[in-house]
Amino acid sequence: MKKKLTENILDKISIDFLRNQVLKNAYGNDDTVIAAMDPRMLLVWYLFFGLVPWFADDIPFLLGCFLLVALTTKLARVAGMVLFLFVVGIFSQTGYLLVVTLLFGGDASAIGPLLILTLKVATVSLASVTIFSGLDPDKLADGLMWYGCPERLSFSISYAYRMLPLLMEEFQNILLSYRLRGNPPAHHTFAGKVRYLIYQVKIIMHAFYPLMLNTAKRSRTTVEVLEIRGYRYAATNREVKKIKLSSLKLTNNDLLFLSLSFFWVSVTVLISTLI
Amino acid sequence: MSAVQKGAVNQSQKLMVFVLTMALYGLATLFTELIPSFQVGIVEFSVEYFLFIPLTLAMLFDPLSAALGAATGELVFSEIMLGQFGGLGELEKFLTVTIGVYVAGRLVTDPRNRKMVGIAALCGTGLQLFMGMVVDILKVQLAVSDFEAVAGLPESVYATEGFAFLNDLVFSGILFCLLPTLYLVPRLYGKIEPLLGMQPRTKEVCPEAISWKLPVGCLIAFAVAVGAELLAESGISLIDWEAGWAESSAALAAGMVVAAAVAVAAVLVMRMRTQKVSGEKSV
Repeated sequence: MKKKLTENILDKISIDFLRNQVLKNAYGNDDTVIAAMDPRMLLVWYLFFGLVPWFADDIPFLLGCFLLVALTTKLARVAGMVLFLFVVGIFSQTGYLLVVTLLFGGDASAIGPLLILTLKVATVSLASVTIFSGLDPDKLADGLMWYGCPERLSFSISYAYRMLPLLMEEFQNILLSYRLRGNPPAHHTFAGKVRYLIYQVKIIMHAFYPLMLNTAKRSRTTVEVLEIRGYRYAATNREVKKIKLSSLKLTNNDLLFLSLSFFWVSVTVLISTLI
Repeated sequence: MSAVQKGAVNQSQKLMVFVLTMALYGLATLFTELIPSFQVGIVEFSVEYFLFIPLTLAMLFDPLSAALGAATGELVFSEIMLGQFGGLGELEKFLTVTIGVYVAGRLVTDPRNRKMVGIAALCGTGLQLFMGMVVDILKVQLAVSDFEAVAGLPESVYATEGFAFLNDLVFSGILFCLLPTLYLVPRLYGKIEPLLGMQPRTKEVCPEAISWKLPVGCLIAFAVAVGAELLAESGISLIDWEAGWAESSAALAAGMVVAAAVAVAAVLVMRMRTQKVSGEKSV
């Protein structure tokens, strides 16, 4: 049993698996309904569903919002790993609290407030999963820029979007080379297993030493290239921004999505006032 | 050449530090987001904490750029790229990470002094964890409006959060922040700076000593972080007040439904028209 557990965990930690999941999530779904929409409109939509549930307290409204964002998450075809993490996150935030409350002598009355809290957290995070997972990061960066977000942020998103696969591969290569040259301790006994785990963690820590040096070189190159192309002037220049953002276009689909969401929300508000 | 001060950092070098920290810490947090943690008894073992990366870089380079880079990296790589962006809560994380890393970076005047590096690393981690704990407690208190009324809830929140703080500080703080930082800082010192075209940090060229401004700035930033959570509480009364001026909230809601239905219909008509037009054009 114990052996199976460690093997299972080590299986999950395999960098290839993680990499595939991340890449699938970041690059895999650019043909969905959500991905085709205008990022500016989706950000407005997100602003509503990311903020309002925190302020609202009645269950029909929250439930309605939750159903809507669950539907949009389905439309965005989010990778399974992300949804799994979402469920784990929800449970660790509130389900755990419920268990401990019961331990400290609470009773069923604790379920009501905690249900509201869970619905709030779930709605807000599903809305964000829809937007940030469903939209392709480049588009997202453009949308943020249109709203006048700091240039640094949209630059960071675009940079991360392009560099992530490269960085992951490099990290994996360094790790593999450490493993090739290393001599892991025997891990048949329990003490050996602990030593083996410590050894693995140590290798990961050590791997950051060459990675830091490599990335330092690379970031210098990046910044120098950016400077050559006048990045810091372009970042504040309006003309450049206009050219960059000219690809954004609002379509009827966007309006339809927005008005349908509005319709649904107002129906839930009506229901909650009637009850 | 006296105009170019020794150790002074120019804008593009700051950008380099920013990009470097962002990429590295972002990558690390991406992994931690994906690796499930496992528990042995009540002690949680998770590879949760890669804070040693920005700590190391903040001690070697410009602390503010490194701190902002770390917070942005976490936001962009592990939240936005994975679609885990959590709204208001992220602001709090962003600010606490920035403060923790920045303070640790400013504490070190000479990266070769191991004792100084160790103390700074623990301070930065502890500060970040402590602020996280305070905000977490406040968050539950504010989100659950009748917090005190629910039997057993206050004690359980204090107990779990307090325990998580101690556990994180002892386990992640020492194993994943102190030891790697102590290993990396002296090794990287003098090697990584030339790659970015900078002078290594020494006592003479280090950023000016800590003044009263630092704690004040940190307090303000922390207040903003707490304020983001406090907003939730005041927002509830805001909505109540809005409903107050309407004659009856049911009528208002019915009006909203009608307006929304009209909007949907209008968009549908517009859509049909454009489709017709484009269809005619293509013919």
